Amino acid sequence: MAAALQACDLVVDARIGDALVPVIRDLSFELQAGKILGLIGESGAGKSMVGRAVAQLLPQGFAITAGALFFEGKDLLKMPPAHRRFLLGRAIGFIPQAPLTALNPVLTIGAQFDEHLARLGCTSSRERRQSAVAMLEAARLPRPSDLLRCYPHQLSGGMCQRVLIAMAFASDPRLVIADEPTTALDVTLHAPIIRLIADMQRRHRTAVLFITHDLRLAAQICDDVIVMYAGRAVESGPARAVLSNPAHPYTRCLQLANPSMQGDCRALYVMPEQMPSLRQLAGMSGCHFAPRCPLAMEDCQRVAPPDQTIAPGRRAACLHVATTPSIAAKAPAAMAASAAARPVLALEGVHKRYIVRAGLLGTARIVTAVKNASFSIRENEFVALVGESGSGKSTIARLLVGLEQPDAGRILLNGEDVGSASARNHDLRTKSLQMVFQDPYSALNPRRRIASIVTQAMEAGSRHADWDQRLARTRDLLAEVGLPSDLATRFPHQLSGGQRQRINIARALCTLPTVLIADEIVSGLDVSIQAQLLNLLARLRAELGFAMLFISHDLSAVRFLCSRVLVMYRGEIVEEGPTETVFADPRHSHTRALVSSVPPDNPEAPWPAFDVAQPTV
Amino acid sequence: MIATVITLIARRLLAAIPILLIVSALLFCLLRTLPVDPAAMSLPPNATIAEIEAKRREMGLDRPLPEQYVIWLHGALHGDLGQSIQLRRPAGSLVTATLPATIQLAVAAMVIAGALGFGGGLLLFHLRGTMLEPVADLVSILLLSIPEFLWGLILLFVFGVLLRALPFTGEVAPGLPVPHISGFLLIDSLLIGHPDVFYSACRHLVLPATALGLAFSPTIMRVLRSSLFDVYHEEYIQQARLRGLSERQVLLGHALKNAALPTLTLAGVQFGILFSGTLLVEVIYSYPGMGNLMVDAVRNADLPLIQAIGLTYCIVVLLINTAVDSLYLVLNPKLRVR
Repeated sequence: MAAALQACDLVVDARIGDALVPVIRDLSFELQAGKILGLIGESGAGKSMVGRAVAQLLPQGFAITAGALFFEGKDLLKMPPAHRRFLLGRAIGFIPQAPLTALNPVLTIGAQFDEHLARLGCTSSRERRQSAVAMLEAARLPRPSDLLRCYPHQLSGGMCQRVLIAMAFASDPRLVIADEPTTALDVTLHAPIIRLIADMQRRHRTAVLFITHDLRLAAQICDDVIVMYAGRAVESGPARAVLSNPAHPYTRCLQLANPSMQGDCRALYVMPEQMPSLRQLAGMSGCHFAPRCPLAMEDCQRVAPPDQTIAPGRRAACLHVATTPSIAAKAPAAMAASAAARPVLALEGVHKRYIVRAGLLGTARIVTAVKNASFSIRENEFVALVGESGSGKSTIARLLVGLEQPDAGRILLNGEDVGSASARNHDLRTKSLQMVFQDPYSALNPRRRIASIVTQAMEAGSRHADWDQRLARTRDLLAEVGLPSDLATRFPHQLSGGQRQRINIARALCTLPTVLIADEIVSGLDVSIQAQLLNLLARLRAELGFAMLFISHDLSAVRFLCSRVLVMYRGEIVEEGPTETVFADPRHSHTRALVSSVPPDNPEAPWPAFDVAQPTV
Repeated sequence: MIATVITLIARRLLAAIPILLIVSALLFCLLRTLPVDPAAMSLPPNATIAEIEAKRREMGLDRPLPEQYVIWLHGALHGDLGQSIQLRRPAGSLVTATLPATIQLAVAAMVIAGALGFGGGLLLFHLRGTMLEPVADLVSILLLSIPEFLWGLILLFVFGVLLRALPFTGEVAPGLPVPHISGFLLIDSLLIGHPDVFYSACRHLVLPATALGLAFSPTIMRVLRSSLFDVYHEEYIQQARLRGLSERQVLLGHALKNAALPTLTLAGVQFGILFSGTLLVEVIYSYPGMGNLMVDAVRNADLPLIQAIGLTYCIVVLLINTAVDSLYLVLNPKLRVR
């Protein structure tokens, strides 16, 4: 029987200026019916492009220029477009990355489901309704008949994703392409959604192409994996074998760059630089990973390593496979926050309510965002605040920096109450508290040069300085965050995401705050960039001596960086303690849910939250 | 949803009260600062100073301005908008006699603008990336730069004078009976069972409505196209394609509904401007609407009439905006309270 999906020397090119740059080069794989194949890699590796190539819905300027892509033995590339479209949504289903935006906001769930089922050939609208209800039920959605009348914005991200999964499997497809199906969701939803996909896959005997950046997740769900880097498959083989014993340096580095959840807290392996952009790829010869590879030798720059079989079923494209296990992270920097240090920032019984108005005369509904929050941060201490979205984490950040005022309780900065919105409090705050924002793209004014962004605090007021002083300070700060000083005169759009986030950090450090408030600052970034930033923060902490409130949903990053953790759930701090203790022995059910949502480090270990073997109701 | 719409309408009507008070006061003060004397104008040229003074007292013009305004407001609230100086008839009844014709013209123009705008917008979008795109772009910019009165003159000359295809003066052919039931000629002609009057009225409406509609369609066209471009970057469009829907289904079933929302907001704002655009077009086509009445009133410094018409424009624009926002609420589920 022919494989569900087979790629033979697939090449996708992008037009950059006048040159054609291969975004995917010579990719070959075979996905058998009923199996799950993982495509792993960081953003820009070309993994999503594979999914798009199947549907031939490539972004503008991209084209498949060589190779073949067989769906059950039929070449998708040679097929007339109408035939291919006939297969889409019928024999080939897609699960998208961002469920909230993948459903049309002005149509009800029912209308969208109905349209899909009508296209599949179901003529009776009553039957369509019935099967929609049955399918939503199979996706474990509560009250499916009410759900059909809802609009997407009335559902949570997890529910939207279940709807989309139900839709993808509605036609009993032979192939489903899942592109980072959990990335946009809360961590506690990862395991249930993955379990749903795996259950559906087994029930329908579907082949799944599972695209992800998460190695631990891939180890749990995939039969086989392909690790991609800069458009090439650098390593492939059975998922557990590859991930427990990586042969390619990139796979190994990626694993070491990911902070661990179990065992000793080890240092993060930091790959220098970042994945080459399409523009850089154009003029590159030899191994694409060589500039970042710790094992790179002179020959790596010269010849592109051939894709060779290293063990039965395992292939790797590296000239120095044998030395890969020697890559190791350096010893961790000692993290000793003296318990005796005095608290610099404290919250005492802080409440924050929002009044949501509705109706003609404004029938007010009160939403409590933060309920009786008390905690303190000591000098040079890194404290984490974790919880799912909507738990009130960001509200606390906004209260701390004075964007909002608490309804009750006190915010003490060096023992002084700065809770209310007076000019004096504002001054005190800006001196000692600085915030780093989540989105590195929108947090920087696109019309300002980096030097002017970074030294914004020196623009006016008591810290006013002339341009030469500001440039000098910019150079210091750029060096501090590990960026070249010639970036000072650039604009934000000329920098990469990781560089921008460093600029964000540099800006917050301009006046050297006592406490840094960092709201999900590594969330949207790739593992290798995240490792760079986490290490940077750990180093700056030792060098500059500031404290930090690290707001995050990523427990492994928290474990690496913070000595103490606060767990927030529905506006309340439900658990607090030393990170190791809390993660090893979580007391509150929500903490337990958070901790168990992270797949185990060891690819061979079972993941209780996922555990496909267990039938779920 | 109905409750939400009613809430919105009620809120808007409440908000309309201060707006109308401010506008009427502004109008009142502005008109009183004009160097014209309504008392002298309402008397024969040979009237004596004493007669004029007596008339001023009779008209209440000797009292302080705020008091005059209160008197006017009191009358207005009781349906009395004053007496037209020139025509010697109540200003209110003059307005209500001509308003339906203007509304009829504006609505017809909006329908034409909407049809041309949506059609043109879809065409512009369809031509994206083709050789014809720059041409279509140029045409749409050219259209954008022609104002309604120029269209009025062009259409009048081409279809009225050169081709003699369509009538270009008045509301209906002379000699036909003009019924007065609702004031809307198109409706009334059918009510009295005179299809010939209806046909004639339609023919008379074509040129002025098209002139107005043509002037307002390019904005709708361009906004629809750019909204479609935005919508096509959305994930759900890609997802609809991945479900195997055809480009046509994606455009009409998924993209258009979303792209129509910003376009509709714009059309609502445009309708207010379009309504005042009727003024020039009515003059060009001697169309017996409120615009022509306004021009006469201004020419004769007929202050009560100007005041009445100005206030009517304001009310109509407020009502249109409320209607458009209600429609927006119906079309955009995100705005409805959960």
